[in-house]
Amino acid sequence: MKSNSIPVIFFPYLRLIQCKERHAPLVIAEEKKFISLINDHQGLIHKICILYENDPEIRNDLFQEIVLQLWKSFSSFRGEAKITTWMYRIALNTAISRFRKQTRLVKTEDLRELHLNISDSGGDDPEENFQKLQWAILQLSEIERAMIMMALEEIPYEEIAETVGITQNNVRVRMNRIREKLKKLMCP
Amino acid sequence: MEELKNIWKNNGPEFQPKDEGEIALMLKGRSMSIIDKLKRNVWLELIFTVAVTIVLLIYATTLETGALKWTSISLLLLFIAYSFYYVKKLMLLNRFSGVNENIRDNIAMLVENLTDYVKFYKRSYAILYPIYFCLGILFGALERGTGEYIEYLSRPRNLFYLLAMALLFFFISTWLASWYLKKLYGTHLDKLKDLLNELK
Repeated sequence: MKSNSIPVIFFPYLRLIQCKERHAPLVIAEEKKFISLINDHQGLIHKICILYENDPEIRNDLFQEIVLQLWKSFSSFRGEAKITTWMYRIALNTAISRFRKQTRLVKTEDLRELHLNISDSGGDDPEENFQKLQWAILQLSEIERAMIMMALEEIPYEEIAETVGITQNNVRVRMNRIREKLKKLMCP
Repeated sequence: MEELKNIWKNNGPEFQPKDEGEIALMLKGRSMSIIDKLKRNVWLELIFTVAVTIVLLIYATTLETGALKWTSISLLLLFIAYSFYYVKKLMLLNRFSGVNENIRDNIAMLVENLTDYVKFYKRSYAILYPIYFCLGILFGALERGTGEYIEYLSRPRNLFYLLAMALLFFFISTWLASWYLKKLYGTHLDKLKDLLNELK
C-alpha cells in the first residue's frame, strides 16, 4: 500500500488504514458472535423494555439503545461473570438512566390505560394475570422493577445484589417489601 | 413468589423477535444516551467553532489595520477561548464510563458527571457574558473613536446607564442559562438523584 508517490506526512494515516484492514476480519467475527448472542438472549432485552417503556415505538428505541450499549461494552466482557448477568447489568443501567422528556406525563397516561384494560375479577385467564402483574410491576420504582424482574427470572440474590450494588441482606429486605407491595396491588 | 414466577414465565409477553439483519443494523445506529447525545452536540459546536475561527483568521489577515481588523481579531480570540471551553466539556463527558458498573455506581457516576457538566456550563456563562459586554464596549469605542467614546462614558448619567445595563445583562443572562439548564437536564438529574437516594 505504501508507495513512493505518497508524501511522508500521510504515512501515519496509511498505517492506521493498514491496521484497520488487518483487523477487519477479527471485527467481523466479533460482530457475528455478538449478533448471535443477542439473537439467543433477545427475550431478556424485550422483557426489560416492556417493564421500562409502555409506548411500543419508544420501546423499540430502548431495545436498540440496549443493543448498542451492549455492543460498546462487548470487548470489555471477559467472561468472568455469566453472560446473562453482564447483559442484565448493562441493559438495566441503560433502561434506568435513559434520558426522557415528559417522563411523568407519559407514564401516568399509559398506566391508566393499561389499568383500565384489566378487569377487576380475580381472573384465571393467564394473559389477564400477566397483564395484572405487569401493571403492578409498573407501579414500582425503577430500582424495584429491576430487582423483581431478576427475581422472577430466578437470578440468585447474590447476583441481584451484585448487579444493583447493595448487600444480599438489603436485597432480602427489599424483596419482602416488593412482594408486599405487589400483593396489595394485585389483590387489593 | 412462586405464583408470580409462574405467571411471569408461562405467560411472558409476546414480542416480535428481531432477526440478525435487524440487530446488525442496530449496531450502526446512534446512541441516544444522555452522555452520547451531549458529546455529539459538543463535537458539532467544536467543529463549527474551529471552522469559523479558520475563516476569521484568513479574513483578518487580508484586512489592513482598522476597526474591522480589531473586531475580527477580538472575535477570533473569543472563538479560540470557546474551542478550549468545548474541549473541557468533552473531557468532562469522557470521564463517564458507567454502564459496566453496578446500577448504584452507574447512577452515582452519572449524577456526578452531569452535575459537574451543568456547574461548568453555568460558571463559563457567568464569565463569558461579561466578556461579551466588554467586547460590546470595545466595539463601540472602535466605532466612535476612543477619545470621544471615553468622554461620552465619563458623563455620570451615561456611566450610570452603562452600569445598570451591565447588571441587567448579567442577571438576565445568568438567569436564562440556569433556567435553560434546569429545563434541559433538571428533571433527569432529579430523577437520578431520587434513584440514588433510594439505594442509600
